[in-house]
Amino acid sequence: MILERLTAVFVPTHLALAMLIIALFLAFARLLRGPTLPDRVVALDLVSTLAVGMMAAYAVMTNQPVFLDVAILLALIAFLGTVAFALYVGKGRIP
Amino acid sequence: MSGVFSSVLMLLGAAFMLVAAIGVFRMPDLLTRMHASTKAGALGGGLLLLAVAVHFGELGITSRAVAGVAFVILTAPVAAHMIGRAAYLTGVPLWEGTIVDELRERYSTRSRTPNPGTTQD
Amino acid sequence: MTIFLWNILLALAWLALTGVFTPGNLVVGFGLSYVILRFAQYAIGPSPYFGKVFDVIRFILFFLYELIASSLRVAHDVLTPTHYMRPGVIAIPLEIESDEEITLVANLISLTPGTLSLDVSADRRTLYIHAMYVDEEDIDAFRQKIKRFERKVLEVTR
Repeated sequence: MILERLTAVFVPTHLALAMLIIALFLAFARLLRGPTLPDRVVALDLVSTLAVGMMAAYAVMTNQPVFLDVAILLALIAFLGTVAFALYVGKGRIP
Repeated sequence: MSGVFSSVLMLLGAAFMLVAAIGVFRMPDLLTRMHASTKAGALGGGLLLLAVAVHFGELGITSRAVAGVAFVILTAPVAAHMIGRAAYLTGVPLWEGTIVDELRERYSTRSRTPNPGTTQD
Repeated sequence: MTIFLWNILLALAWLALTGVFTPGNLVVGFGLSYVILRFAQYAIGPSPYFGKVFDVIRFILFFLYELIASSLRVAHDVLTPTHYMRPGVIAIPLEIESDEEITLVANLISLTPGTLSLDVSADRRTLYIHAMYVDEEDIDAFRQKIKRFERKVLEVTR
C-alpha cells in the first residue's frame, strides 16, 4: 500500500513539480529580460499557467481536491488579466 | 491502473510546460516565443487538470476538471491572438530570419517608434 | 438540432435507468440512443444530423492528429540548438463570411502550435496568420494547406 502510493503518487508529482519549478525560473528570466512590454506579458501569462499546473500537481500530491477549485479560478482570472494587458499594450492606456 | 494513467498524464503535462518555458526563454522574437508558450502551456495545463480528474476518479471532481480544461482550451487562442495583434500593431521587431511579411503593406503607418506603453531597453 | 437534444435526453434517461453516473456510461448511453434514433428516422423523417455526428468525430480526430504533429515539430525546434524555423506573416484569402465561422477557424488556427492568427482585414476577406514553418520558394503551398484546413471546418459547420 505504502509502496504503491510511493510509486504512483510521490515520485510522479515530485518529478512534475521539479519540472514546473525549472519552467518557472525560465519564465521569470524572460519576465526580467523583456525586452519589450509584450514579451513580459507573455512571460507573465506563462507564469500564471504554470501556477495552475503546480496547483493541479499539488492537489494530487496532498490528495486534496480543493486545490483543483483554486487552479480553475486562477485560470479564469489569469485570462482576464492577459486580455487587460493586451488592450493596454495595443492602446498605450487602460481603456 | 488509474494511478499509472494519471502519472503519465501529469508527467506529460509538466514536460509540455517545461518545453513552453524553454521556448519562451530562447526563441528569438515575440511571435515565435508565443508559439512556444501559449499553446504548449495551455495543453500542459489541460493535461495536468485531466491527471487530477483521473487520480480522484469521482464524478464531481471529473466534471470540474473537464470544465477547467474546456475553459483553458477556449481562452488560450483568444489571449494569444490579442497579445500577438496588439504587439504586432505597436511595432514589436520581428526576427531577422522572418522570410515574408504580407501584413506590413496594409499598415504603412505602423508605428516605428515605441509606443508609450512599451519600454525598450 | 432537436434530434441532438433528443439524443442527449435519451442518454440521460439511460444514465438514470442504469443508475451508474459515470462519464463512460454517458458515452455508452449516447451511442445507444444514436442507434435508436437512427432506426427511428423512418418514422420522424431523414435529418442531416445522422451524417453530421460522424463528420464531427472525424474532424476532432483529424484536429488532434494535427495538434500532436505540430506540437512535436515546435518542441523539436525549441529543444535543439539550431533554429530550423522559417517564420513569416501570410495573408490567407477566406471563403467563409459569417462572424461565427471566422472566429472558429481563427481560433482553431491559433490553437495549433506553429500557426497564430494575427488579424482579419476590415472587409473580412483576408486572414493574416503568423506561421513558423513557411517554405521560402513556395508560399502558395502553405496557403493551400491552410485553405484545406478551412474547407474541413466548412464541411462540419455546413
